[in-house]
Amino acid sequence: MQEFTWPGRTAETELAFDLEKAALRRDFEQCLEECGTLAFRVARGVLRNAADAEDVAQEAMLRSYRQFARLRDRSRFRAWLVRVSFRLALDHGRSTRRREQRETAWATDLSKPTAEDIAASNEFARRLEKAMGTLPEKSRLVLLLTSIDGHSLEEVAELLQLPVGTVKSRLHSARKQLAEKLR
Amino acid sequence: MTCDKYENALLLAASSNDKLDAKLARHLEHCSSCRLTLRSERELFSRIDSTLRAQVNEDPSSAFLAHLRLQLSKQLTARPGSNRVWHVAGAALALILIAGLYPLVNARHSSVQENLETPTIRVAQSARVTQSARAAEGLTIRSRHHARRPSAGSAVPREPEVLVPPDEQRAFAQFVACVARRDTVAQAVVTPATNKTVKNTELPRVSFVAMADLQLALAGQEEWIKQTGSSE
Repeated sequence: MQEFTWPGRTAETELAFDLEKAALRRDFEQCLEECGTLAFRVARGVLRNAADAEDVAQEAMLRSYRQFARLRDRSRFRAWLVRVSFRLALDHGRSTRRREQRETAWATDLSKPTAEDIAASNEFARRLEKAMGTLPEKSRLVLLLTSIDGHSLEEVAELLQLPVGTVKSRLHSARKQLAEKLR
Repeated sequence: MTCDKYENALLLAASSNDKLDAKLARHLEHCSSCRLTLRSERELFSRIDSTLRAQVNEDPSSAFLAHLRLQLSKQLTARPGSNRVWHVAGAALALILIAGLYPLVNARHSSVQENLETPTIRVAQSARVTQSARAAEGLTIRSRHHARRPSAGSAVPREPEVLVPPDEQRAFAQFVACVARRDTVAQAVVTPATNKTVKNTELPRVSFVAMADLQLALAGQEEWIKQTGSSE
């Protein structure tokens, strides 16, 4: 199919447009290399399933690409992507939970953990995931980011564009709440 | 048993991994129970951290980035902002909307114009002010409830209107009647000043006889108002 061109758009403007597009793609490819894994990890911190996390991270990257041209400060891409990934993962988690509740409502009694389950080594991880799900979103994101790649408080503060003190208090509150639930 | 006094300090120390407070450190030297609590709390927090790190630092599958690039390329082939299908669909939708809404807007406009005509005629009939008086003064009584008339009707030539609040309609009707009867005081009020100097804008003197005539006429006006009721 022949490509649509606006009336009055000349070959020069077309060329300039293509060049701009190529530059944009180059920039985005670089961001993708740097931040693709971060997006996945943020999503993985919210979701229990790695495959779901990949889907969410991919969606977050595609969405951010659509808006990439409008982003004036490219250095903020990382922070932006973290927020998009976190939000998408939360939405995905909620819809998955609803679906699971619908599908397994009849078998609720069967899913109770057995003695073997409790004794299993991943029991703590499962309880931790459950406890994480009950944390307030703001505290949860701070806790996730401090755990990912060993980010320092200052780095997390920069990512979330928050004062370091706020990050510190949110982190402390999140860990305290987790400990209360897991004690 | 943990000493209640140090409970919060213990939890804070365990969660932050900071250097112990001197007071707490002194207490821990003597209290084995608090030492045990601190150790178990530190274990719990380190377990939380390590489990969390293990969970969230998992690497995506090797196909993740490749698949992402593929999806990106698909997006790039469909150039954003120049999709012909969307342009055509948008134009078609706009045309449909215009075609659909035009008769509605037209019908509404004509009904508004009809409504604009009606109250003036009705009020004019009910007021029964003499034609000569209205022609002379160009006044039409309207209720305040009709005041919110859209300016769309301005194309229709109309008499100038006076908006009268409902509680003043009776007095205004009396006044109009006085004007129609060419009573001296009423005429003096509506007659424009011949000169703009302060002296000449004063009302002309009215004799006591003329005032008495006006008062006598009031009784007749009241009877007329009772007959016609309010202006609406």
